[in-house]
Amino acid sequence: MKGFKMLKLGLILSAYCLVGCVALAAVYNSTSKVIAQRQADDLRAALQEVFPTADSFVPTDKVKSPSEQIVFEQAFTANAGGKSQGIAVKVKGPSYGGPTTLLVGISANGTVTGVKVLENNDTPGLGANAASSTYYVNKTTKTTFAGQFAGKKLTDAFEVKNDVLAITSATITSRSITGLVQAVGKAAGEALGIGQSTTVRPVELVPGADEAHMAAAQAVSANPSVTVLETWAVTREGTVIGAVAKVEGRGFEGKITGYVGLSQDGTITGVVLVSSGDTPGLGDQVLKSSFTDQFVGMKASDPITVGNGVTAITGATYSSTGAAALVKSAADALEKALAGGGL
Amino acid sequence: MKRLFGIFLNGIVVENPLFVIMIGLCSSMAVTTTVANGIGMGVALTFVLVMSEVIISAFRKFIPDSIRMPVFLVVIAAFTTIMDLAMKAYFPALSKSMGVFIPLVVVNCIVMGRVEAFASKQPVLDSLFDGLGMGLGYTWVLVVLAVVRELLGNGTLLGRQILPASFEPMIFFILPPGGFLVFSLWMAVSNSFRRKLLTRSKPEPTTATCCALPDSSTVEKA
Repeated sequence: MKGFKMLKLGLILSAYCLVGCVALAAVYNSTSKVIAQRQADDLRAALQEVFPTADSFVPTDKVKSPSEQIVFEQAFTANAGGKSQGIAVKVKGPSYGGPTTLLVGISANGTVTGVKVLENNDTPGLGANAASSTYYVNKTTKTTFAGQFAGKKLTDAFEVKNDVLAITSATITSRSITGLVQAVGKAAGEALGIGQSTTVRPVELVPGADEAHMAAAQAVSANPSVTVLETWAVTREGTVIGAVAKVEGRGFEGKITGYVGLSQDGTITGVVLVSSGDTPGLGDQVLKSSFTDQFVGMKASDPITVGNGVTAITGATYSSTGAAALVKSAADALEKALAGGGL
Repeated sequence: MKRLFGIFLNGIVVENPLFVIMIGLCSSMAVTTTVANGIGMGVALTFVLVMSEVIISAFRKFIPDSIRMPVFLVVIAAFTTIMDLAMKAYFPALSKSMGVFIPLVVVNCIVMGRVEAFASKQPVLDSLFDGLGMGLGYTWVLVVLAVVRELLGNGTLLGRQILPASFEPMIFFILPPGGFLVFSLWMAVSNSFRRKLLTRSKPEPTTATCCALPDSSTVEKA
């Protein structure tokens, strides 16, 4: 008899739960679309805010978070007129009162285009001022805490109370947000080929150029030992005047990575080799500009091999040969890409 | 009609949930940093309270005593979630600024307390008025708390700058200690007013007949 009573109570309780669930399902169905739509609109508006010059945002997975505590929830390439202008990342990381979420825009020329605090659970009146649009860290110029990052160079120190103005009585919040912006800057910079470790800016490899855009399609190397990692189209006042490729090839023992710029007429305009896995003091001498500058002015159609216009580094013939092959393959690939109009 | 009005008034002053019964204080301290949050939270709680009281009062004969708590919780949780979803969809800014406190209405002592002490024993109409009274009693307290805290702590009201720019905001009032101070001062004011009201209307018939809990000191402090 007691078992029957328990069963009855259980059934009654489940009846209430069932009705509750049905009601919730109905409400969820009617609101979920509105909520999703609103969140998408919010994100889109926020992206536009941190990247005012872009007109479309395409999700990308190229940007990788440097640590487990910092989560890159979403990343977008910001495009204008079909050309990539940079990267915007929605990043979540720890702050004083729990996780904080930011949207950070990084342009292809290595500056922060904007920062917006999407979520922040820090102390109201102190750390929460990070998200406020009326709290100014600089009252004379009416700069908000997040607003001060716009236009900041990735090569800056990002030090609170030095080149970043702190929020009064909220140093931890200020530091964590600054750190997140810098982390995004670093990761996006690497993805865009403007990382701090390699200060190569594609636009500088072609004289007279004023802008470099990520190319829509990669140039393809015909040499199997050389890989084109990234390709940029370089323009002057909107007209393509050349192209730059980030390439990786084989040296003596390790890999050589570098950038090669080629003008529209097939002349090599700039070569920068950024890393070499070869013997320190010998093979890695190919990174020196005294070696790389000899390529400038050569044509992509030239043979470009050691002995054929290229002078090898003494004691590092293999590395020099590898570097020359790298430049030759990159130039060939770029010339093909430029001729094909695929940029 | 007079009886219903008495029930309504009961929640607003005589048995105000925050100042007299003193339940549900945690959220009141947390959300009253801005007036907009205070109003939002008050409206949200009033909605959940009224709906839960009405439904539970209507079904009070079909809720076995031994499982009443889980059933109350199911009803309250359902209405809280409905309101949370509706707020997210139609008032996203408010929903964002109140954060976790909206879902936490589920465990707000006021809702559970009134459902248990009142709605599970009283007819639907009485419960409706009790819910409205208690909800409004909660809301006005949140608003007066928030007005003082936002004005002194931030120099604004409803986000608009009220005090001149030369006024340096006293952040103390936004922080929890300031909340406690403002709360206790308001409680002193409200309770001295309540005492006057009760002594003046001593033979008031409504207070004696309407309330399930005529003596607030017997209410278990949740």
